[in-house]
Amino acid sequence: MANLKLQNLYKMYDQGNGKKDGVYAVNNLNLEIEDGTFLGILGPSGCGKSTTLRMIAGLEEITKGEIAIGDMVINDIHPKERKIGLAFEDYALYPPLSVYNNIAFCLKANKVDKKEIDQRVRKIAKTMKVEELLDAKVEGLSGGQKQRVNIARALVRNPRILLLDEPLSHLDGKMRQILRGEIKRLHKEIKCTTILVTHDQMEALSLADHIAIMKLGVLQQYGTPDEIYNDPVNIFVADFIGEPPMNLLPVTVQKADGGFCFLLLDGTRIKAPAKFHSILEDGQQYTMGIRPTSIVIADEKDYDAQFTVDVFENLGDERIISIRILEDFLTIVIEDMLVFQKGSRIYVKMKEDLLYLFDRETGERVREQGQRNGG
Amino acid sequence: MARIRLDHVTKKYGSITALKDVSIDVKDNEFYVIFGPAGAGKTSVLNLIAGISDPEEGDILFDDAYMNYVEPRERDVAMVFENYALYPHKTVYENIASSMRTKKYRQPEEVVDREVKRVAAMMNISELLERKPTQASNGQRQRIALGRALVRNPNVFLMDEPLAHLDAKLRNSMRKELKSMQEAFHTTTIYVTHDYTEAMSLGDRIAVIHEGSICQVGTGNEVYYLPETEFVAKLFGDCEINILKGCVTEEKGRTGIRLPYGEEVYPVPDDVGERLQCAGVKDVDIGFRGWAIDYSREPRKGYVRGKIYTHEPLGNKVELTVSLGDDMIRFIVHVDERFEIDEAIYLHFNMDKGIFFHSETKEYLVRHNEEVMRGGGKNG
Repeated sequence: MANLKLQNLYKMYDQGNGKKDGVYAVNNLNLEIEDGTFLGILGPSGCGKSTTLRMIAGLEEITKGEIAIGDMVINDIHPKERKIGLAFEDYALYPPLSVYNNIAFCLKANKVDKKEIDQRVRKIAKTMKVEELLDAKVEGLSGGQKQRVNIARALVRNPRILLLDEPLSHLDGKMRQILRGEIKRLHKEIKCTTILVTHDQMEALSLADHIAIMKLGVLQQYGTPDEIYNDPVNIFVADFIGEPPMNLLPVTVQKADGGFCFLLLDGTRIKAPAKFHSILEDGQQYTMGIRPTSIVIADEKDYDAQFTVDVFENLGDERIISIRILEDFLTIVIEDMLVFQKGSRIYVKMKEDLLYLFDRETGERVREQGQRNGG
Repeated sequence: MARIRLDHVTKKYGSITALKDVSIDVKDNEFYVIFGPAGAGKTSVLNLIAGISDPEEGDILFDDAYMNYVEPRERDVAMVFENYALYPHKTVYENIASSMRTKKYRQPEEVVDREVKRVAAMMNISELLERKPTQASNGQRQRIALGRALVRNPNVFLMDEPLAHLDAKLRNSMRKELKSMQEAFHTTTIYVTHDYTEAMSLGDRIAVIHEGSICQVGTGNEVYYLPETEFVAKLFGDCEINILKGCVTEEKGRTGIRLPYGEEVYPVPDDVGERLQCAGVKDVDIGFRGWAIDYSREPRKGYVRGKIYTHEPLGNKVELTVSLGDDMIRFIVHVDERFEIDEAIYLHFNMDKGIFFHSETKEYLVRHNEEVMRGGGKNG
């Protein structure tokens, strides 16, 4: 089987005058993915995700380290020989040619038998739902159609790995949503190892079965979407994933009858979950993280914290309560059709398993004893 | 502050009609949102109010004063721009004071001082007065810009997509900052956006505009829960509303709906049944929002069989697209379950949660519990 393995991979760009610029665009990246995986490489701009993809494709020289498919190191193999299909965000189709000839282009260049070309083009066109467009010129197509043709062209050569670089970011909302669904189905059908590069966390969560999240060239966490979402290893991952974003608030630990509480900057107290008791000490400082959906409305008999509503918004699909904590907001998302007034008092419970602590200095996750270690 | 009216206004740019017979009536002190897709005519409305352009037909009124052809600077309108346009070299105090130190609006310095301090307290930026805007956070900068516009007490505040250039995270928190300050405004505000969450969050009322015409004016709850047309229904909500074809049936005095997915007759609540009977319609379109569809993994009475086309896990929820008959039904599941492509799934359509439209005109007919929906739910 053809696992893809990136080992101690580094990339440093030239400054243009033959000198290196001194910054690693990719810094000691190690990843091994099984054949058939759908990997999402996720991160903000400048995190090294596209550089990584380009090194796998052979479009970028590797500064240090190895890329292997199965047992074969491909560092020195010509891009054409790597059997990799590539689809970029900006399509790069040949405008004067028909859809058919765009898809067939590479096979023709490689002098594949005409009959076989026809078979393969029609088969992949069916998969990508562009059969009816085969005779059309590329110019007249919509963005979504162009991206379908683009992916079809990448797939027609039966690549071992399909690389997708921000394939949806040029498309508008509705089209993006449809094609996202199509790509998901496509992967199930052809089971080709696929690597998707994106800055959109929703895209990575919804498509990939494994996610590598990067920042400034360094891998932060590798795991399933569930691990990345529910068990972030540091504050960067916690903050980057999720919409609306996780509440991240500086807290001071305070002893309180028999247990501990977290003191927010404005003096509000939140009962500390029992699971943390063994590691907490009076006066410690942390950043507390909890998602807006992990806070639930309770009553005055049993609650972890009480707040005053500053802003209430009914957005139809969900309702958002915002609590002002000095310059920040603490956000609570509720699904029930309830209405709250500004200034009213609310009692809430925090979902214990989904309350996180992070080191104030390093941003690393602080784990209670015996907790699973994600990533 | 003032009541602002456009009365049967038409605006043309060459051969293109930007606004067709538009009438709006913005109450004194109201926060009024103009919402619509790109190119709908939103900014044209603002330009007419500001006096940047004049209408071919119709009147513009501030309270009862006729404003057509009145110079922009005579209208006493305050614009808040996307980038706030603060003076970086002046202190926050000087920035706010600047609008009272212009030739036209010059005030005695003791008035300036009093007003700057009043507005700063209101905007919660009193501690920043001696600092430069660059030393302020994004939220604070927005408040400084609003403070500067507010200090003059203009007839109307105009805001053209003030949050559009921000990334999603910042946009969310800025929207809340704005909402949090709203009560302190005491100024008529007209706010243009293409983002439905901003419209629903901020607007006392929302005017939905499309291709130069107003489609509906109403509160956030009204446009979301009681949309006057299918078009408006589709503009609100993250997951686009599903529109199903239904056939009205009557058996033993009970009104029901048959959907094209089987023989099942779904009973409708009495208030809906009555209205459908009164209207005498045979065919209806029924809108179900993404959270209004029930499902089961096992066959169940009253549930119809579909097949999962795609499933998209998004952290704490899953968006499912299910193929059912000739339709694709898209909805949200708030559970931690795993789904497989092409797996069978069973859907139920609870007519209590549907919005009924006329199948030809696509206009609103009825929904269950109209008055409760208008209020947005129970008090928490």
